[in-house]
Amino acid sequence: MQPNHAVAAEAKKPDSGANRRPFWRNRAFRQNVPLWTMFLPVVAFYLIFKYTPMFGLIIAFKNYTFYEGILGSQWVGLDNFDNLFTQAQSVQIIRNTLMLSVLTVFVGFPFPILLAILLNEVRRAWFKRMIQTLVYLPHFFSWVVVGGIVVTLFSQSGIVNGLSTRLFGGEPFAYLYSEWAWISIFLGSGIWKEAGFSAIIYLAALTVIEPSLYEAASIDGAGKWRQMWHVTLPGLSSTIVVMLILAMGRVMEVGFDQVYVLQNPIVSNVSEVISTFIYTAGLQGGQFSLTAALGLFESLVGFVLVVLTNAVAKRFNKQLW
Amino acid sequence: MRSAFSEKLFYGLNYAILAAAGLSCLLPLLHLVSLSLSGKTAVMSGFVGIWPIDATFESYALLFQGTPVVRAMLNNVTITAFGVLYSMIFTILAAYPLSRKVFFGRRYLTLAIVFTMLFQGGLIPSYLVVKQLGLIDSYWALWLPGLVSTFNMLIMRTFFENIPEELDEAARMDGCTEWRLLLRIYLPLSLPMLATIGLFYGVSFWNSFFNVLIYMNSPAKYNLTVLIQQMVQSQTILQEFNTMSQLEEVNVTPEGMKAAGIMVMILPMLIVYPLLQKYFVKGVMIGAVKG
Repeated sequence: MQPNHAVAAEAKKPDSGANRRPFWRNRAFRQNVPLWTMFLPVVAFYLIFKYTPMFGLIIAFKNYTFYEGILGSQWVGLDNFDNLFTQAQSVQIIRNTLMLSVLTVFVGFPFPILLAILLNEVRRAWFKRMIQTLVYLPHFFSWVVVGGIVVTLFSQSGIVNGLSTRLFGGEPFAYLYSEWAWISIFLGSGIWKEAGFSAIIYLAALTVIEPSLYEAASIDGAGKWRQMWHVTLPGLSSTIVVMLILAMGRVMEVGFDQVYVLQNPIVSNVSEVISTFIYTAGLQGGQFSLTAALGLFESLVGFVLVVLTNAVAKRFNKQLW
Repeated sequence: MRSAFSEKLFYGLNYAILAAAGLSCLLPLLHLVSLSLSGKTAVMSGFVGIWPIDATFESYALLFQGTPVVRAMLNNVTITAFGVLYSMIFTILAAYPLSRKVFFGRRYLTLAIVFTMLFQGGLIPSYLVVKQLGLIDSYWALWLPGLVSTFNMLIMRTFFENIPEELDEAARMDGCTEWRLLLRIYLPLSLPMLATIGLFYGVSFWNSFFNVLIYMNSPAKYNLTVLIQQMVQSQTILQEFNTMSQLEEVNVTPEGMKAAGIMVMILPMLIVYPLLQKYFVKGVMIGAVKG
């Protein structure tokens, strides 16, 4: 939050000019009345819908029942966590979540960068615009749409099987019911949906790189590949670090929608994750305290991961805050 | 110029990879369109590629007559229109004060808000809050918890911060109040950014799925996403129509119906998307470069 440091520094200036201070203070106060009138509803929003749920997390340490409410329910200490970390099912769910999200972050991460670098090298404006229009598009579809497309394409009577049996013979393959194929489809659909849109950020960063750097590299005899390695990638590095930090923060939350629309009972060994479990066991099964404990665990690990990555990034002077 | 061959190779590869990426986004859609438009025998024999065979609109006809798709679509419009309106108002009300240097507590408020991006109460406590407020089965359960997207708000704040300070100095000299400044100077100068953020909100409300699934009890309030998902997954609606279609010798398959349902859901988006594209690219860049 660099702008804020700048503000703090500027706010100190008027203090040093001692005789002008009352005037400034008065004006600042007058300006703050309408600003705070605007901002109060926003404060209410953040308190009610963001901070109250954080407080509500105490039900993770209680045995929550509807009749007794959040405050009235009995304290049970760490019983819910005990339950979670000793049951084979929930341990597997945590493992699945970690596996899918770590794969999503690390397998998916290079694609937008690659796409942005390739798009940046296109000299024909119409071609660039056409490709951009196409690859941004899936971002605007909901996971239900993408899931529907995936299921249509990869089902046993779908076009993928239709083509492969016609070309290579053999039996149709149940992609969505085989665990490794399901994981690949999961990762692939995520990349298909978001890689294009995520590339926008890198494209923006690429526009800032000095063209003279490329000229200099070219004069020194660097070919296209070496220019990418020595000019383009270093130019992107700070954006890459910021995006990596943001991605790390999401490591624990495999989105509900994507898993929910793609999963089926046959692959539940690899596809049941924290968010789907919280939905089925918590909301539908009424196990509020147990799943709130799982949710707290999820949030905490995510938080620690962001803070850690940021601390690492700080060493390279690329920190987010 | 010296290494003309390797340059040519590079550009050739580059164009080929990008063309493949573009086609991977286009072909599945064409396939769905042709599935939704093809006749029963063509779909069942698996010969439908990217052009329709025995073209017919019966999948769409059946979808509109036999399922609550029209009602779900109207629900989508309601959810999206009011959702975008409320969210835009509140996002502006959050972003504008935070962008003003004179705003008391600006630094700590920003930190407190950014903290909510890093740590969240999670689903169960959020659900309990919505339930406590008595919002279950009302669209307020969709609009209120999603009133401000912190990410969008930060983009907007950065945009406001970059509007030259001389401008509001001058306006203030002429006796402009804070509200007038916002409405007459800041907002009109921010139209591309507002369009972008409006589009982001619009897309997220149009596509809202999980919230509708958990907060809406009555099927009459479902939106398209939930309805289509139920059609795709449970197949009960489809089977009903499949048996019906066999009785009446209708030229429709469950696959065709699914494809038609998906097309109905994305068609409005496909129409609006090209019109707004130039705005959102600009908008994301504003957020990215300075954020």
